[in-house]
Amino acid sequence: MKANFLSIFFLIFVSCQEEGILTQQREITTLSPSAQLKYSGLFEPTSGITVSGLAKLYWDQNQHTVSLEGFSISDGPDLKVYLSKSDAPTQFVNLGNLTHQTVYPIPVGVQIEEYSHVLIHCQQYNHLFAIAELQQN
Amino acid sequence: MKRKVLIIVWLLLINFAYSQGCSDAGICTINKGFQQGEITFKNNLEISAIYSLGEADLVYVSPYVSYTKRFNKRYSFTAKVTFSSASGSFGTRSQFGDAFLLGNYVFKENNNRQWSALLGFKFPFTASNLKINGYSLPLDYQSSLGTIDVFVGTNYQYKKWNFNLALQLPVINLNKNSYFSEYAGTDDFPSTNLFQRQPDALIRATYTIQTVNKRISFKPNLLFIYHLGEDSFENIFGQREQIKGSDGLTINGNFLASYKLTGQSQIELSLAAPFEVRTIRPDGLTRSFVAGLQYQYSF
Repeated sequence: MKANFLSIFFLIFVSCQEEGILTQQREITTLSPSAQLKYSGLFEPTSGITVSGLAKLYWDQNQHTVSLEGFSISDGPDLKVYLSKSDAPTQFVNLGNLTHQTVYPIPVGVQIEEYSHVLIHCQQYNHLFAIAELQQN
Repeated sequence: MKRKVLIIVWLLLINFAYSQGCSDAGICTINKGFQQGEITFKNNLEISAIYSLGEADLVYVSPYVSYTKRFNKRYSFTAKVTFSSASGSFGTRSQFGDAFLLGNYVFKENNNRQWSALLGFKFPFTASNLKINGYSLPLDYQSSLGTIDVFVGTNYQYKKWNFNLALQLPVINLNKNSYFSEYAGTDDFPSTNLFQRQPDALIRATYTIQTVNKRISFKPNLLFIYHLGEDSFENIFGQREQIKGSDGLTINGNFLASYKLTGQSQIELSLAAPFEVRTIRPDGLTRSFVAGLQYQYSF
């Protein structure tokens, strides 16, 4: 009886999630063959973090995009991709959550010449994970 | 007579179906914290299941458990834990919401007039950044706003009338929501990245109707909530932005019917719907219809 009660309580109150139309894993976005490489940089980790890969900035189909190539990083709870004006997350464009996607479009109107770094930043705990300084190609 | 009842029910249902915006960050149900009536038992346990409809296609099931300890004729203390399960196009997300701690003091009755005062706190169980498959969710899907709040309130009872006045002040903001409408694939919900919420003020007027044997009572009430400022969020450029139209008035109609099962227990049905809403409601507290069933046991 007690076990049944606990099971019901657990089923009702346990934290759970179920995906919907808007949270299904989206198809991987890829760059078009005509994408032009503008900038690139190697990711460097901050203390205690493991990271590998490159950040590359392309002009592709009338829009700038950041592409993460050969990329992997330590797990984090709320990782974001920032296009930043420095190696610290103070002046940046938040390109969204770091997901299985490798291509992150930059909003139209952003002057990319003003941005020098791609950062991987944990917003929830305000902890910087990785920094890639962009060099012109 | 039967026809009149059917017409009234039909009008109520039409109203529920097309209204929007019952704002409740805890303040909607704060009247429960005010101790009222004769004190027969020192402990009260309340279990509730609430079904409600939100913005877009959202459906909520929100149970809570509440325990009240009455120390004497004047002092009582209530602890309450909420849970919320939200289902819609983003999927289903369920989690504990907030813990409420409320203290109540009842002043001496004088010519059928009685005042009481309330002080309380709300503590969130989450930082309002629950996700599904790594996708950030709007506040409408979050079980808590992620703020530590203080409640101060007073209640005035005169014969069959009851009036509540309360303030809900977010004092510590732990909200870490990361939802951007730009990246969500829908514009049903506004961006609420690193949301900051403003206080609410509440006024409620309740009239109690009881049957002769006091076994059944009805409590229709009108609830005015004023959101005292514009909420804000951090946009994709890291700049804080005010959400225009997020302040203002919400007016809700609420109808409670309770039935005493025994001397120690009763069930209560509540129906609520809004008549007036704020222009923009980013906090995810909007409900177009609320139906709740509570069971109370005193011992």
